[in-house]
Amino acid sequence: MLSKQIGRGAGAAGRRTAGRRSVRSGNPPVSASARGRTVRSSTRSQPMTSGERRHLAQVVACGLVFVLLVAAKLLLPGKMEGINRFLVSSMEQNIDVQAVFSAVGRAFAGEEDVPGAAKEVYQAVFHPEEPNGSLGTGEALETAAVLETPELADAALDSLRPYRQEAAGASEQPESGEQASNLAYILYSQQNVPDNVSLEQAILGFAYAPPLSGTLTSNFGYREHPVQGEERFHYGVDLAADTGTAIGCFAAGTVTAVGESSSYGRYCVVAHENGYSTLYAHCSRVTASSGASVSRGEKIAEVGETGNATGPHLHFELHREGVYLNPIYYVAAV
Amino acid sequence: MWPLCKRLEVSPGFCLLAAWFALSSGWQALAVILLAAAVHEAGHCLVLRLLGAEIASLRVGVLGGVLTADRRRLSYGGELLAVLAGPAANLLAAASGAALGGGRWAVWIGANLLLCLFNLLPLRPLDGGQALYFLTAWAAGPGTGEWALRLAGAVSAGILAAALGGLMLQTGGSLWLLPMCGALALAAIREAARA
Repeated sequence: MLSKQIGRGAGAAGRRTAGRRSVRSGNPPVSASARGRTVRSSTRSQPMTSGERRHLAQVVACGLVFVLLVAAKLLLPGKMEGINRFLVSSMEQNIDVQAVFSAVGRAFAGEEDVPGAAKEVYQAVFHPEEPNGSLGTGEALETAAVLETPELADAALDSLRPYRQEAAGASEQPESGEQASNLAYILYSQQNVPDNVSLEQAILGFAYAPPLSGTLTSNFGYREHPVQGEERFHYGVDLAADTGTAIGCFAAGTVTAVGESSSYGRYCVVAHENGYSTLYAHCSRVTASSGASVSRGEKIAEVGETGNATGPHLHFELHREGVYLNPIYYVAAV
Repeated sequence: MWPLCKRLEVSPGFCLLAAWFALSSGWQALAVILLAAAVHEAGHCLVLRLLGAEIASLRVGVLGGVLTADRRRLSYGGELLAVLAGPAANLLAAASGAALGGGRWAVWIGANLLLCLFNLLPLRPLDGGQALYFLTAWAAGPGTGEWALRLAGAVSAGILAAALGGLMLQTGGSLWLLPMCGALALAAIREAARA
């Protein structure tokens, strides 16, 4: 992105000097601001002022950078592609300004202790994309936009695969964890699975129920992101359902966080036995309150499309001590 | 701003920056920041006018607002008051937000508080740096003031740049902090070279 801007600037400067040369041949190429002066003066070979020399040096430097970047892109396309991907991924980690303000403001108003706010600020500034750390505290923003347009659902419904079919596919998968991870290896051998992801089917050790019966619109794993448009790991499953559909709690537990974020929209997190927790995102409304004990199947929220969503759906995640598990094994067992 | 300040200039660079910010962080965040910045500048303007100084213009650029005022008749105490009025206005805004009932005003309080704290850094173009200069120059003469400001600027900017750079390296974090980190490092080097 940076290189493109520099390139464009140098290109524009080059065009300007080229145009000037065609009007008055013989003069050395000078930059745009120096041009006006030399056109007006009638003497031809005046010594350059320090300002003109600086402009000339800038044009030459920009031109060199442009030529070097073009050469690198043509000669080492693979390497440049890698650098480009690194830059884009680094730049996508933007600072969540509102979360920073909100945390500082709440600390000042005495609604939150200072270490908690500091942790939230750190999270918002340095890892806004990894939601795991900030879930414990939960942030509440008044200003996040709420989309209530059902037409957007069509976009999400285009790529629908029937939920039942997927459920059948999931039940065909091998039961033992070893075979499951072999399958995962074949599926993802091209791309590395993120560190904090386990593709094995864990035995939960408690009773559970799918949060709702909807249509599976996006599976766990790598996928083209519907909003950003590039390949990213999807840390949960998306179940499409109408706005307002009740979301039942996956299993008995305690609501540990109710919050709102730019990506998750309105969400809540429920902690279960054995270190497991589940996350319910993009809700139109979270009906459970933080700290409440909830039972399996109890209504905790309603489906919506808040946050980074293109239609009303539930984004459902299953974590075990900070590791993302594939929830499909458990929500498909209807 | 008219009764406080005669001319308001907004640079095209600032408009671009504001547009980018609105696109990346939402217009609500932009509005809150602009409003907090307006409160800050209004604080400066108000005190300058009360002290009888003419304000020539307020230029809003990429790096923030710059007030041009005829300060020649201001005493050290007056200068100090005018410089501290901006952060004080932000603090007042934050406190009134908290008094109105914390949670709903959290973003507004936070924006004002961060703007206040950032401006109080003892670094030259910022209010904190100017305040430090006026304070030490008032107490011990301009030479000492200059020296103290350079030392404080170099130390504070150096520490901040190192801390920010360290955290960025550790987290592999946001490239957007790189300009900030670079500017702080440059400021530290500049002040250290002068001191």
